[in-house]
Amino acid sequence: MPESDLKAPREGPANIEALRGKLSEYLECAGRPLTFMEVCGTHTVAIFRSGLRSLLPEGLRVLSGPGCPVCVTDQSEIDMALSLAKRDCVVLTYGDMLRVPGSSGSLLKMKGEGAAVEVVTSAIQSMEIARKNPEREVVFLGVGFETTAPATAVTLQQARRNGLDNFSVLCLHKTVPAALSALCSNPDLRIDGFILPGHVTVVTGLDEYAFLTKKLRRAAAVAGFEPEEILACMTDLARQVAERDFRLSVWRLKDVPIEGNPAARRILSEVFEPCDARWRGLGVIAGSGCRIAEPYGEFDAVRKFGLDPAEDVVDNGCRCGEVLSGLISPPECELFGRVCTPLAPVGPCMVSSEGTCGAWYRYHQ
Amino acid sequence: MVQVSSMKEDAVTSGHGSGGRLTQKLTERILSRFETEGFEMEDCAFLDKGGNDADIAVTMDGFTVSPQDFPGGDIGKLAVCGSSNDLAVRGVEPRWLTLSLIIEEGLEFSLLDRYMESAARTAKEGNIRLIAGDTKVVPHGMADKIFIAACAMGKKMSSRTLQTSNLRQGDVLILSTSPGRHGAALAAARFNIAAPGLTSDCALLWPSLKPLMALDGLRCMRDCTRGGLGTVLCEWAEGASLGVELVETNLPANRETNAICDILGFDPLYLASEGCAVVAVAPEQAEGCLDLLRQNSISRDAAVIGRIVADHPRMVGMKTRIGGMRCVDMPVGEILPRIC
Amino acid sequence: MMCLAVPYTIVEIFDDGSARAESGGVEVEIRLDLIEDPAVGDTVLVHAGFAIQKLDRGESEEMIALWKELNEAAEASVARV
Repeated sequence: MPESDLKAPREGPANIEALRGKLSEYLECAGRPLTFMEVCGTHTVAIFRSGLRSLLPEGLRVLSGPGCPVCVTDQSEIDMALSLAKRDCVVLTYGDMLRVPGSSGSLLKMKGEGAAVEVVTSAIQSMEIARKNPEREVVFLGVGFETTAPATAVTLQQARRNGLDNFSVLCLHKTVPAALSALCSNPDLRIDGFILPGHVTVVTGLDEYAFLTKKLRRAAAVAGFEPEEILACMTDLARQVAERDFRLSVWRLKDVPIEGNPAARRILSEVFEPCDARWRGLGVIAGSGCRIAEPYGEFDAVRKFGLDPAEDVVDNGCRCGEVLSGLISPPECELFGRVCTPLAPVGPCMVSSEGTCGAWYRYHQ
Repeated sequence: MVQVSSMKEDAVTSGHGSGGRLTQKLTERILSRFETEGFEMEDCAFLDKGGNDADIAVTMDGFTVSPQDFPGGDIGKLAVCGSSNDLAVRGVEPRWLTLSLIIEEGLEFSLLDRYMESAARTAKEGNIRLIAGDTKVVPHGMADKIFIAACAMGKKMSSRTLQTSNLRQGDVLILSTSPGRHGAALAAARFNIAAPGLTSDCALLWPSLKPLMALDGLRCMRDCTRGGLGTVLCEWAEGASLGVELVETNLPANRETNAICDILGFDPLYLASEGCAVVAVAPEQAEGCLDLLRQNSISRDAAVIGRIVADHPRMVGMKTRIGGMRCVDMPVGEILPRIC
Repeated sequence: MMCLAVPYTIVEIFDDGSARAESGGVEVEIRLDLIEDPAVGDTVLVHAGFAIQKLDRGESEEMIALWKELNEAAEASVARV
């Protein structure tokens, strides 16, 4: 099979057409409307940008799951970051985090008021900045799933090696399987198949997702981020449901080892340990967070600055949890469009520009 | 008890300067304080000389670019191009320029000289005369080296007034070059990405747009600065209450710009250009318009990118590579690099 | 197509575990800490400044099989016309 057949953009629509036909066939075989969830925020954006949603056949609903690690950063976690900025720390973060709301504004707002909040594009840069500013306390916000966490882990190793005493990490990393497992524990869950994140599995491998197909008997497959890959994945999910043959499959043009990246996982387990974590809109999910392990304790911003991850969280009325589980559509939430808008988001589905609520707000108004 | 933390805006944010939806809100807020009868939301204004056809146009523009030196230009060149391009897209030949410099104390003369030489060279190239100006020096830390405000004036050369309200269903949209090269070059400089083959598209538009004055089907033109092509088209769709349909595979593309967007999570549709115009023209003259544009080196890659449609009024849709449709919305605030 | 892990080719490797890598005409500095035995010329998937996986294993078997099946189906339908 020559490579050009797989990738020539000009072939795109033809491949897409063929895949759509096959997907429709399987949907018909399934005999009922199906609901799939894309778990990864990058998939959400890829589906939107490629116009794939407009090409999906009748009888298929695709929901955006809790898959943007930034959007699910809880208000209480943002509040910790804001308190660091208020204490005159240099707060370094990926750009995604700036707009996410805490209880009194966002990092972007604080930056506008003169706080030392700066965007980095790699965790390692934060260490360099700490080294160049020995008189300032420099804190890096570690956010992201298993794809992003290893970079933070390496940075912590380097910081320890270099004995940096003005550097720490506010570790907000989360793990995908625990969240999926929590979503699936809802007996009312109406999701037939999961489109699993291509890049998270590049690190984690597939084993952690086997429970979806084996234990829960749901369809699940990994996809890359080209629309052809995502559509191939959806087609296979429909096949799994139609044939009641639940097997994890991988839909990436480029082959990636299915065992993931053991070296990255070793580093993760050395630097972090699992902990419970609070997800915006979903509440506390057991074992879904990463805490900085004891040997690296001096670089843990929570311990270093005695931060208090508020225990009693006020119910703000956000129903993103139900939106994420496919139980309600955005307008059924009383905050939607009135209190919660893209300019002033409350829940994760609105924080993310392509989250279910954000997209709904833009295209259904 | 349900409590909601609201993110009420009580101050100007960086997002208000980003050229998207928030900038629109800021402009509306400012204009609401003025008597603005007859105020057009266009790139420049025509002066009414008491009954005669208005033929002198004026525009005002501020420049605060960071970094001040970028591949393909600097703040001096940008001030001349940016202000006179706002005239060019309304069929006005840029002729006169005034500059107001806000200089931070401590700015080396060598830098100041270089920026001014660069502005002078660009003005000379465009046959634009500096006729007035002003300088202010502010204490250290009150400005970022140098801010420039430029007022450009010129003579209207188009037979009819080019404006958004001229748009008609069926009009063809032509883009003069690949979008976003200025924004991409700045992003590369800011985020330490080496892009040896990429320069900002910063250039004077008038020489390439002047030949289009011969087309009686020319409707309107815009330069895709802050907020990029996507924002301009949203403004057109909303201003004319018509739909815009783009064809993704027809958009002129630049390899390095796309690579930079991939790394930072940007969309080239929203990146700023400083020498890229979108032109709306009657369908029967689209071919001629394209030929005229392609004769000039800065618009050699001009291409038909879409058309004005009656469906989805006030919305911009794009037919994607795979044959789907996506919505092109106006960006809300500042465009930030992303990891996911 | 946007996707926030981009395939890069390693151009130069430095002693401190960093490298220069190229993609689409642009070059960035990346870290190689998560990759075993990196070499100049390797294609790696880069996310947030770190190489997270080597990409030297060719095409995915599953995709090839599916594409083949689809192409055959498409040819069959053309043949019927």
